[in-house]
Amino acid sequence: MSDPRKYDALVVGSGIGGMESALKLGDMGYKVLVVEKEPSVGGKMILLSKVFPTLDCASCISTPKMGATIHHPNIDVMTYAEVEAIRGNGGNGNGNGPARYHARIKQKAKFVDEAACTGCRQCEMACNVAVPDEYNADMVSRRAAFIAFPQAVPKKAVISREGVSPCTYECPAGIKAHGYVARVRSGEYDQAFDLVLETTPLVGSLGRACYAPCEGECTRGELEGPLPIRRLKRFIADERYGQAEPKAIEKPEQNGKKVAVVGSGPAGLTAAWQLARKGYGVKIYEAAERAGGFLALGIPAYRLPNDVVDDDISNVTAIGVEIETGVRVEDPAKLKDDGFDAVLVATGTHKAVQLRVPGEEKDGVMSALTFLADVKLGKNVDLDGRKVLVVGGGNVAIDAARTARRLGAAEVHQASLECCEDMPAHDFEVEEAKAEGITLHDGWGVNHFTGDGKVEGAVLKVCTCVFDPSGKFAPEYDEAQQQTVACDVVIVAAGMGADTEAFGLETNPSRTLKAESGTLQTSLPHVFAAGDVVTGPSMITTAVGQGRRAAFMIDRFLQGEALDPDAFDEALPVADKKSVLARQDVYDRREPFESHAAMSAAPTDFSETEAPMTEAEAFLGAARCLDCGVCSECHACVDVCPADCIDFSMREEEIEVEVDTVVLATGFKLFPADAKPEYGYGRYANVITGMQMDRLLAPTRPFNAVVRPGDGKVPDRIAFILCTGSRDAQVGNPLCSRICCMYSIKHNQLIMGALPLADVTVHYMDVRAVGKGYDEFYKQAVDMGSMFIKGRVAKITEKDNGDLIVRYEDIEGDGGIVEAEYDMVVLAVGVQPNTQVAGLFEDGALGLDEYFYVGEADDDMDPGRTNLPGVFVAGSASGVKDIPDSILHAGAAVAQAAAHIEKARGVEAAVNVPEAAVNVPVKAEVTA
Amino acid sequence: MSAGKIGVYVCQCGGNIGDHVDVDEVVAAIEKEQGVSVAKTAMFTCSDATQSEIIEDAREQGLDGLVIASCSPKLHTFTFRDVAKRAGMNPFQYTQVNVREQCSWTHTDDHEGATEKAVRLVRAGINRTRLTDPLEPIVVETTPKSLVVGGGIAGLRAALGLAEIGLHVFLVEREAKLGGWVAGFREMFPHGRNGRELIGKLEEKVRSHPEITVFTSAELVAKSGSFGNYQATVAVSNGDRLEQIQVDVGSIVIATGFDTYQPEEGELGYGIDGVITIADFKKLLDETDGPLTYNGKPVRTIAYIYCVGSRQDESVEGANTYCSRYCCTAAVHAATQVAARPQRVHQYHFYRDMRTYGKYELLYAEALEQGSAFVKYPDDEAPAVEKDAKSGGVTVTSKDLLSAGDEVALTADLVVLVTGMVARENEGLTKTLKLPVGQSGFYNEIHPKLRPVETVVDGAYICGACQSPRTSSEAVASGLAAVTQSAAILKRGYAELDPLVATVDTDACTWCGACEFTCPYDAIAKVEEGGKELAAISRTACKGCGGCVPVCPSDAIDLQGYTDAQIKAMIDGMLEVVCQ
Repeated sequence: MSDPRKYDALVVGSGIGGMESALKLGDMGYKVLVVEKEPSVGGKMILLSKVFPTLDCASCISTPKMGATIHHPNIDVMTYAEVEAIRGNGGNGNGNGPARYHARIKQKAKFVDEAACTGCRQCEMACNVAVPDEYNADMVSRRAAFIAFPQAVPKKAVISREGVSPCTYECPAGIKAHGYVARVRSGEYDQAFDLVLETTPLVGSLGRACYAPCEGECTRGELEGPLPIRRLKRFIADERYGQAEPKAIEKPEQNGKKVAVVGSGPAGLTAAWQLARKGYGVKIYEAAERAGGFLALGIPAYRLPNDVVDDDISNVTAIGVEIETGVRVEDPAKLKDDGFDAVLVATGTHKAVQLRVPGEEKDGVMSALTFLADVKLGKNVDLDGRKVLVVGGGNVAIDAARTARRLGAAEVHQASLECCEDMPAHDFEVEEAKAEGITLHDGWGVNHFTGDGKVEGAVLKVCTCVFDPSGKFAPEYDEAQQQTVACDVVIVAAGMGADTEAFGLETNPSRTLKAESGTLQTSLPHVFAAGDVVTGPSMITTAVGQGRRAAFMIDRFLQGEALDPDAFDEALPVADKKSVLARQDVYDRREPFESHAAMSAAPTDFSETEAPMTEAEAFLGAARCLDCGVCSECHACVDVCPADCIDFSMREEEIEVEVDTVVLATGFKLFPADAKPEYGYGRYANVITGMQMDRLLAPTRPFNAVVRPGDGKVPDRIAFILCTGSRDAQVGNPLCSRICCMYSIKHNQLIMGALPLADVTVHYMDVRAVGKGYDEFYKQAVDMGSMFIKGRVAKITEKDNGDLIVRYEDIEGDGGIVEAEYDMVVLAVGVQPNTQVAGLFEDGALGLDEYFYVGEADDDMDPGRTNLPGVFVAGSASGVKDIPDSILHAGAAVAQAAAHIEKARGVEAAVNVPEAAVNVPVKAEVTA
Repeated sequence: MSAGKIGVYVCQCGGNIGDHVDVDEVVAAIEKEQGVSVAKTAMFTCSDATQSEIIEDAREQGLDGLVIASCSPKLHTFTFRDVAKRAGMNPFQYTQVNVREQCSWTHTDDHEGATEKAVRLVRAGINRTRLTDPLEPIVVETTPKSLVVGGGIAGLRAALGLAEIGLHVFLVEREAKLGGWVAGFREMFPHGRNGRELIGKLEEKVRSHPEITVFTSAELVAKSGSFGNYQATVAVSNGDRLEQIQVDVGSIVIATGFDTYQPEEGELGYGIDGVITIADFKKLLDETDGPLTYNGKPVRTIAYIYCVGSRQDESVEGANTYCSRYCCTAAVHAATQVAARPQRVHQYHFYRDMRTYGKYELLYAEALEQGSAFVKYPDDEAPAVEKDAKSGGVTVTSKDLLSAGDEVALTADLVVLVTGMVARENEGLTKTLKLPVGQSGFYNEIHPKLRPVETVVDGAYICGACQSPRTSSEAVASGLAAVTQSAAILKRGYAELDPLVATVDTDACTWCGACEFTCPYDAIAKVEEGGKELAAISRTACKGCGGCVPVCPSDAIDLQGYTDAQIKAMIDGMLEVVCQ
């Protein structure tokens, strides 16, 4: 960290107390840094409607101070930033120079280049993530990309990110799963497709054949079931490929460099695509007669039709990648001689592993890979009426078995070492296989095959254990238990391996290629390797991720940049599911759509088993998204921003500043109304808080009228309940909150302006109208027709129509328990201390009073001075105050802060310039 | 050089203006006016975003005049002058047109009429702006010294605060001793601090500070000069001798405090033996120890009657309608002091609303716990207080709203009238400084939130209980806020004054003295120039009120920024037929 920036004063918080403190210190000529945690200065006051007792518009009073704070030549403001810790003791020690405070400040990432943002709100309008709008007291929603409120200063957008959504985070390919789901929700299918294209061209293939680890992490999975994230990808691919004239893929400008890719599977295709997007000339060499690797040759068409793979590959060729099939590259490194600057080996694991049991050489025993490839290539594979045994328990084995079934085999048996629930194949695949009439022999291994030249059967033995304690494959058998399965075709799916012998590159014992796991560079600098040939058999999506990583590293290599493994896909941490679930607590339950594959007991063709989603299903499926990370990274904002100022690579930063004095203006918190359960806040829609009423009345109100939130009805009978959370030992707050009587009286007057016919009743304990003009303001409300009823309300109950029954003791009337009915109840919530500030100081504890407000060491004489030298408190942080008192209190804090700075400067001058005369007394000019 | 390229911005102020005035129609009506280059509406003209937009427009279009139709100039004149400045315009070629307080808010029932009026007002503003000349602020060097009037706790603390920031202070106290009310208190709420000791320490710091000059038995009797450079005359009585001392100061902090309300004879039994004010009761508590006695008799029952001299019926002439803020807390605090005495005293509180706000609530809770009983009397029916001849005590009879209006009657040994604060009689000072006095007699700030210690007299700041009733620590806080306001002006070393002042056409002036007579700021004086007697107006003393302009028989005075030509143009603009 560079030398700390120096200021005379640090002001923490920019509510009315903070702004006043900063402005006055700035006017005196001191250099001030203001740190505000919200994206705008202004604190709570700017969110109010009007202010008592003058009924000035809160905006009108606040905005000039907000503007002045930002524009003041002596004031720097950091918004969306938090002071994390303050070191130092602020005293002048033993005269060896003034000790100062060092504050560590965290600048949260805004993901918007503030200098370039014009506050045009295009991003906000494009964003489709809605979260509760805290600047409207959660009554409506705001977007993930947002400007806090219309009068925000600075008026700059911020993008809320609470980490990466678990689905996106989990994707080995790095696909912005949350992003395309959000795009589908908006009906922007083309944009959703393009977003996946940012990662991989294999949109259709992944939409069908991906095992969707994203869905396993979906937070909805902990509620009613995960979103159909994979099928949504299929949906957007079907939409795009189904268009008569799909959107053309733009060819980027060529950068003159060339890369060869060996192998056209998911890794090779993805790497080629990514490199081509960057302007490289890319050529893919494929040994098989069809491009697509395992997608084209391994996955049966009922799961992944050929034309879908072809559509995906057409993306790659459309961007200018050349694919040559039927060419086996023996020495990848040598491709350099053909003019390629770098080479990527992505040949996968296409070599079948043998069972190594007697009889394996017999006619009729074949490998699953060969079998599946032959079928997909349309070769004549006749199984009509045959008895087929598939050996293996993985996905390939299942694919082979189900393919055999479709080719007309009379019986299909499958032997798997693992018992059913431990089979490596996915449960749903096993279930589907069983549904298609495949006989599963789980827990059985092959002892030997029988038959004379041609296979006639297999003798199976019971497998007692598949792996040794270290997890190594080491099956053990009970030789005593055997059975014979008659068969005339055996398809072996015992695993696959890399075929790397010819390459002359360094390999691992498993024959996979040796490559740095972070950079995917082999021992030859210009040769990279990616996908299953490096990792061994894995998922398509893992291979895609490898392909992307390789492309990223090859680009760096060819641009002469360092190959930094951490630079690839650097992402925020994953969003916390617990807080997502807490945030979404009040949201509706939304049932998932079941994925029903069309199952037949005797399938005869290779048509897709899974039906496509309808548009309605896609929309409702996507709409169930909980927006875990808030921002979905759908890039809609990036697309529309005219200033090009959105930058997802921004990260939180820390800076350190050195100051003479600290003014704490951290304000207060409002009492959480649901802590008084008898009033039903959070359960009864028409019970709102005072802050919500302020928002309903504000010039920038969420609805253009005072309506009750439950049903939008204009309320005729409105009740206020004062002292909610104040003067109340039950909630642990015996203090009076000072402002609630007055803001309620203000609401009374404003409601009578907005709804002249409404009846307003105030249930109060004492009306505390103690400021200048306050009692007169109270009388005015009474004269306008507000009813005041003394007594604390016992409880509220809700009627079916949303009306509310308020139960109280009629103290001033005839006594007894009374129930009154209202359309809407406003809880005049009190305040609580903002206790965050207590832990800021590392070298000395900040004193708090017994109710956890910032303590004043001597408020009789030095209001605003804390126990720490040079640390002052302004406004409600030391105990709630109304606005005028907060401003005066800030003035008091500033007077002492300025005196502290002067004292520090005096010491500094005395130390630094010993010969200079300091403190020359000013002679009183007194003339008689 | 008048303005030829004017930007006009019509504010919706959320719904404040937009709900009642069709701002688009206003813009459509005036965009073709002579000199108008840009005409737009805005949701909040004062918002930072619109400010930036105005600045951008000004730079792009080369604007030299600005009209903003929004709220009262009281609110945002400085905001938009600053915008003009940042936009490279002359801030004095800006006109604020008030279409909110003077239009939308007053005509909420007449959308069409309000819109037409707004058009006329905006047109007048454009006409004025067209005839504006660029002006420069009057820069005056300020004197880094302050005069504090009043040596109570607020004034003393303010004096110390000013000195600690590096300003020299003259402290003027009318009494012979410093310390005011607090110097008389033994125990103060809420911390139980000893007022005499507090003042003692504070006085010692003030008296020993090299930057503070203290005058006791002294009054501010005259003030001349102008903002940032006042000459104040302090009359100090020294035995029989009255000495006049002149001091130069940049600001004046007024901390003259309050008086307690003095009940009239018979008001709630005042005058009956055993009926005293809270001030006298406080003195009794602070000056005695042991079992509480009054006039030698033990006190076993006390009745407190609240809101005496406060929250009075507004229909009565001269009533104190305001709440005195401190007295509820003072009374429950006194009750806790009584409870600490070594005898059992029954204490009854006849109150209206218990206003122990904020943390003072704890004192109320303490009094309740200690056994104080509370009776809520109706706003319009004060308790009856009568001498009880039989027992020699005083009978208090009242309705109790806490028990459905039942009548409560009790006989007390002592009735304490919880009297409020009233403004102190300060006619001389008020006149000398021309301080604004509010309805309740306390000094008035310009705006409780925007400029809470400033008065309409530049450089004169108010604090403490002379502004409104408040507690000791609140008075201290406001005293320090006045320090801050002074320092914000004086630490810089100079101040800028509005150049919107009156000027004299020396050819036309014939010196009749009418202007000098009418000027409330003593800014006009007779001078001789080339053998001719002329009126000369001090640019720093003139406030630009314009009072002299109409009285001049030879039309020799014009007000910068509001010249006769501009006023006429504005009238023309308002009377012009509005195109439909």
